[in-house]
Amino acid sequence: MSLTQIYLDHAAATPMDERVIHAMRPFFDDVFFNPSSPYAPAVAVRREYEQAKSRLAATFGAKADELVMTAGATESINLAFHGVNGHVVTSAIEHHAVLAAAEQCEHTLVAPTDKGIVSADTVAAALRPDTELVSIQLANNEIGTIQPLRDIAMVIENERHRRADAGETTPLLFHSDASQGFGQLDVSVARLGIDMLTLNSGKMYGPKQVGLLWLKAGTHRDPLIVGGGQERGLRSGTENVAGVIGFAKAAELAHKHHKAEAKRLAKLRDTMQQRLQHAFPDMVVSGHTKKRLAGSLHIAFPGLDGERLVFRLEAKGVLLATGSACAANKGSRSHVLEAIGLAPDVADGSLRITMGKLTDSADIESATNLIIEEVMAEFERIGRA
Amino acid sequence: MTKVFVGMSGGVDSSLTAALLVEQGYDVTGVYMKNWTQDLPGMRCPWADDLADAKRVAVQLGIDFRVFDFETEYRDKVVGYMIEEYKQGRTPNPDIMCNQEVKFKLFLETALEQGADMIATGHYAKVQDGQLLRAEDENKDQTYFLYRVEGAALEKTLFPLGEYTKPMVRTMAEERGLYTAGKKDSQGICFVGQIGIREFLQQYIETQPGDIIDTASGQSLGRHDGAIFYTLGQRHGLDIGGGLPYYVVGKDMSKNEVYVSTNLDDENLWKHEITLQNLHWIHNAPRDGDELQVRIRHRAALVACTYSKGSLRLAEPQRAVTPGQSAVLYQGKLCIGGGIVVQ
Repeated sequence: MSLTQIYLDHAAATPMDERVIHAMRPFFDDVFFNPSSPYAPAVAVRREYEQAKSRLAATFGAKADELVMTAGATESINLAFHGVNGHVVTSAIEHHAVLAAAEQCEHTLVAPTDKGIVSADTVAAALRPDTELVSIQLANNEIGTIQPLRDIAMVIENERHRRADAGETTPLLFHSDASQGFGQLDVSVARLGIDMLTLNSGKMYGPKQVGLLWLKAGTHRDPLIVGGGQERGLRSGTENVAGVIGFAKAAELAHKHHKAEAKRLAKLRDTMQQRLQHAFPDMVVSGHTKKRLAGSLHIAFPGLDGERLVFRLEAKGVLLATGSACAANKGSRSHVLEAIGLAPDVADGSLRITMGKLTDSADIESATNLIIEEVMAEFERIGRA
Repeated sequence: MTKVFVGMSGGVDSSLTAALLVEQGYDVTGVYMKNWTQDLPGMRCPWADDLADAKRVAVQLGIDFRVFDFETEYRDKVVGYMIEEYKQGRTPNPDIMCNQEVKFKLFLETALEQGADMIATGHYAKVQDGQLLRAEDENKDQTYFLYRVEGAALEKTLFPLGEYTKPMVRTMAEERGLYTAGKKDSQGICFVGQIGIREFLQQYIETQPGDIIDTASGQSLGRHDGAIFYTLGQRHGLDIGGGLPYYVVGKDMSKNEVYVSTNLDDENLWKHEITLQNLHWIHNAPRDGDELQVRIRHRAALVACTYSKGSLRLAEPQRAVTPGQSAVLYQGKLCIGGGIVVQ
């Protein structure tokens, strides 16, 4: 009984693009050399590695020597926070990697609006004279909301001016975790006005355990991992050549197609949302309906158990996430849903649907039908049909 | 319609139990008992996966599903008991305590409070008119672990698997397409898993090295790293090497000494008489002089015995009757109760 699988959890993981695999392939065996070795074939690998970093940097308007390649976004985030002694401002809806890093400093968590937007005003209000770092995500991994980074950057710039005028010397940096949304948004660091950027290859059809931290020229961090001094001394360890080549290819593809892809996904997402809303008028859609990633749809059926729906749909071949992994995930509700003020019984009945390259309109048609069927069956089971 | 709460662990046995009850027309609710969630060095506690599997099967069967959180009570009554017993030099059986204190007390009480008429578990055993009987599958029979359950609790308990053998259970689970049909059975004490009891106890009990003494010569053969780790009759793990294998024939906790012998017929290894304490009878106590059968460990052979005032006279001597373990008494297929072996 082979089922057609419909994958709707692109925020969790993305399948590697064939072109990415193809680009990586030679670096596993044919040209496996250590880029630091002196002989010509190794030097050629070094050149390929540097060129890949340049192409990668170009996808968000940066330069190769501003990148620190890491083993994923979590490491990048840890590096961005490393050595901060002062106060940190971040939002209550960041990824756990950011929240845990912030925990290690004195920090203020800024609350989002009930639509899941972190406003520049609330960030401004949280800034203190000793604030050294502001970290706000580009887009939320649960509800897909897109944050006004440019507005926040202006608030930060104002604070820098204030400090300069007042003769204060505490530096203030702005980091953004852009793990989500790279393939659907234009991520130009100059336009966003940030100082540090975290990207994650595994969320954009590249290999997992590969990421980067971009540091604007003149921005300094202390290394987390010391050793042979690779990556300008900021991240020692023999370069993950194949991984970075793959990451570069993935980023290039994602960047090249992001506009068309966002348009395509928004259409699919809106179709599904409309049909579900029509079938279930009480369904709750979380997150700002406009300022939201094109492939993201976060819905809740008050009174139902999201995890049961996930298991029902998994049996029908539809793979998606619970909005709030109440039981399986150590008994904790989603901090994001709590922060936007979703009532616990609504949060418990939620589903996170994230579409991507694998998703086509036939998938959305079938998945929508199956979701409607299974949600109805659950309502029937609890006697609320 | 009778409302039954089924303890679902995420394994194949309790999954099929729930499925059979649904088929038999009961109003079934699946319950995962959250008893232990702690990882140990070298072992990840699989509770979250097991919970998800239990819930998957409940969803598959279209039944209600709940989680009962007994972590505090389990730590206190089962794990605490086990550690305390080891400290005293005995070899306890935490599964028996879990059934007595958690599954057939706390779970039953909570289920009844929440509207259940009965409970069910995936144990291999039978209940008839409130009496506990050995399972059809003598090889899997779990009455040894159930002898401390109250008769009143059994009157509210269903054991649907008592009629089947384990291979039949697997087949029936497969036929029904249950998600857990192919899942491996768990091994050993659930919260210790594969890492071994020694590593577990080391987290909780501080031990001192002591002498391993040969009873034949009275000489020390080497050092052990804590007498609590040694169990009567045990052969492996003495690390004294060479020649004939040694067996543990006794220990003195106050002197922290472990006694060993190469003599398989050592008188300390074989017992004709067993004294019991903490007696528990499911319904009525046996009378002195009653001819019964006893089992001194799970899956051990049944041995004829005569009961008298908390002691058993065995028809044939038994090897390694271990203090702290249970001696469970039977009259034919009927499990009547038993007690804990005294040193």
